[in-house]
Amino acid sequence: MLQYVNLNIDGANVRAPRGTNVLDAAIEYGICIPHLCHVPNLSDIGACRLCIVEHVVNGRSEVTASCTLNVEEGMVIRTNTENIRRLRRNLAELLVAQAPNSRAIQDIALRCGVKEVRYPFRNEDCVLCGRCVRVCTEIWQARAIGFVGRGKDRHVDFPFGIRPDFCKQCGNCIQVCPMTIPPCDGPMKPGEEYLCLKCESQLMDETPGSCAWCKLGEGFGCGRYVGV
Amino acid sequence: MTRLNSYRELEHLRQRLLEQRQTITTTVMVCGGTGCRTSNSQAVIDAVREELTSQGLDGSVRLCVTGCHGFCEQGPVVIIEPGNIFYCHVTPEDAFEIVYQTVMKGEVIERLLYEDPVSGERFKTEGEIPFYKAQERRILSRNRLVDPCSIEDYIAAGGYSALPIVLNGMTPQNIVNEIKASGLRGRGGGGFPTGRKWAECMETPGDEKYVICNADEGDPGAYMDRCVLEGNPHLVLEGMMVGARAVGASKGYIYVRNEYPLAVKNSRIAVEQARELGLLGNNILGTSFSFDVEIARGGGAFVCGESTALMASIEGKVGEPRPKDVHTVVDGLYHQPTTLNNVETWANVPAIILNGSSWFASEGTKGSKGTKILSLTGRVKNTGLVEVAMGTSIREVVFDIGGGSANGNKIRAVQTGGPSGGCLPLDKFDLAVDFDVLAEAGSMIGSGGMVVMDEETCMVDVAKYFLTFLQDESCGKCLPCRVGIDRMLEIITDITEGRGRMEQLDLLEELGDTISQTALCGLGRTAPNPVLSTLRYFRPEYEAHIKEKRCPAGVCKALITYRIDPDKCTGCGVCLRSCVHGAITGQKKEVHVIDTQLCQKCGVCRSECKFDAVQVV
Repeated sequence: MLQYVNLNIDGANVRAPRGTNVLDAAIEYGICIPHLCHVPNLSDIGACRLCIVEHVVNGRSEVTASCTLNVEEGMVIRTNTENIRRLRRNLAELLVAQAPNSRAIQDIALRCGVKEVRYPFRNEDCVLCGRCVRVCTEIWQARAIGFVGRGKDRHVDFPFGIRPDFCKQCGNCIQVCPMTIPPCDGPMKPGEEYLCLKCESQLMDETPGSCAWCKLGEGFGCGRYVGV
Repeated sequence: MTRLNSYRELEHLRQRLLEQRQTITTTVMVCGGTGCRTSNSQAVIDAVREELTSQGLDGSVRLCVTGCHGFCEQGPVVIIEPGNIFYCHVTPEDAFEIVYQTVMKGEVIERLLYEDPVSGERFKTEGEIPFYKAQERRILSRNRLVDPCSIEDYIAAGGYSALPIVLNGMTPQNIVNEIKASGLRGRGGGGFPTGRKWAECMETPGDEKYVICNADEGDPGAYMDRCVLEGNPHLVLEGMMVGARAVGASKGYIYVRNEYPLAVKNSRIAVEQARELGLLGNNILGTSFSFDVEIARGGGAFVCGESTALMASIEGKVGEPRPKDVHTVVDGLYHQPTTLNNVETWANVPAIILNGSSWFASEGTKGSKGTKILSLTGRVKNTGLVEVAMGTSIREVVFDIGGGSANGNKIRAVQTGGPSGGCLPLDKFDLAVDFDVLAEAGSMIGSGGMVVMDEETCMVDVAKYFLTFLQDESCGKCLPCRVGIDRMLEIITDITEGRGRMEQLDLLEELGDTISQTALCGLGRTAPNPVLSTLRYFRPEYEAHIKEKRCPAGVCKALITYRIDPDKCTGCGVCLRSCVHGAITGQKKEVHVIDTQLCQKCGVCRSECKFDAVQVV
């Protein structure tokens, strides 16, 4: 039988089954926390750090990723403080400067309130969110792709760079990849990247605290959409 | 060796060893640590041994190849007991003289004694040397007593005395209370109270618990863990046994990086010897306590010094950190409760059990007790390993122990804590070596690296160096560390190459703050410290790079040019011959000129010129 715990997210009392993470619990209750690497029913690695929240313990708040934080009785979580919004905006800015060539990433940047990008754009194809690796490993148990290299050299590849037989070309890795959704105005050429911000009208307020099944969420593969 | 089945047998062995050693009148201790080995101490060891044999002194003189003595700059180091005579820079040719004069006649060889670079005074014994005088050597002083490859040495020197105490008289709760009362904090960098860690691990139920010794030391310029582990591995093992008894662990790992071959070798020998004596294995000393230790070698990734990455590496997985919302004392190695401590922390444990927590807490400050080994490097006269009581000021470490500037330049900063630490300027040198004090100042003790910098060091370049290191060593798992550090490096490179803009300084600060709050693991969270601390204390230097396009220290190549001062140049032609790029022209006995188009700014001409005619502008 499922055991339930009670916690407090942004002042709302939330009931969630033991073993779920704070991010899923919040989405379930319609509290919007932007996220990228989290996919429902896959393990969480906490790579993109966009889903950071403040976890208040003994009066001191600690910034941590909500996807890897399991719910506990009496937990107090704040998802929409000034500090969190600032950190999230900075992270989204790093992300969109790295890989602007995707509607998902542009939507995240918009959702997190990025107004300008202060770094030179790089047109990278992969943001190393690890969705594809985990889908391949956990859902299909194929382990046909994985992370190779460390730090700047880290990339997703087949073992030894050769497509193994146990890759059935199911295409699930492509399906969950946030980089396969081109920007609305078509792919950007190197040197011509820009911050889109065209969907600004889609946002309810400046930074919505509640989930309204927004079009942006559909773009960046929000757990609310993928989960149903 | 026979297996020891009770405490009494251990005591008997100790008595027997001491009796055997009564015939020994003199002990010659030659440093066999990695530092001295690179200065050819192995040849010294062989020469001394040969000399002793040829003089027929095998029975009465003991040659002890010890671990590091700390004063690595003066290696190879030879100490002769009785008398505590300290010889430095010993060559194999000196072996005859040492044996003939000092060992046989008891005379001191003047020229091998340590000479103080300031006063020119020569010191006879180890204790008189200023470098050692100001130290409080609780752990390092034990290195000289034992041959790391000999468990007999360790037992004869009083080793494994804490083991009977914890197995016989103390309950796990007592041990944890004792460690808690001592105020011991993790020496690996975090400074987490060891007692609290142990208590949490002890209280967590688990099928099998583990203790791990973290010897994956990777900070540039720090090597205290290597010295302790390769110089006295049994001390670390004994500490781990106490810890295992306290938390209820039955298996231990020493995770040591493969770049430390001597530490790997010595700790392996130590584990085998302890197993042979029954100090490791099932039913240790006839009690129900069973514990075994395995050596796990690391592949040399800096990130594997992080506890969760280290555990992943032991499990055979990719060495990447995982989120630590659940602590490793609850869910650690193989998802079992695991206590992980640094080498130095483990080495502190036996003495706390033996002498009591109040003895340990007698040194140190309110928040930080005991001593800390620092590795003092950079532009000071005396470099090496320094063990000081917590609360000693940085000034004392740099000027009293380190002897001040190596080449007469003014010392301006010290970098503490390696890539996770920060730079502190001269006016902060009165700060104490203390976990909380240094953290407040924007730096940290970290693992204990202390790099001294003088006015020829560019602080922007230092920040760039550490960022390059961190970018290379980042595992790449989380966005803020992988991309954030890369972007910081991009901005700093812009600044050092004269493309910087003032608003980038604010961006650096904001980015640094973001990384330090959001990164996944401790390494990422502390990664911006070198930049943030230099920005905090040396902002004018950053501004000089940006506004005036000038590097005050003359280091950043894009911002400097070399020229020859016509008043000083004698036309000797040394610079002309030394320049591999052919950038210098001039006739003999005439003023030479540097072609700035061809000059690669390598600085060779400057170091070759005897008249200081080559200048950096």
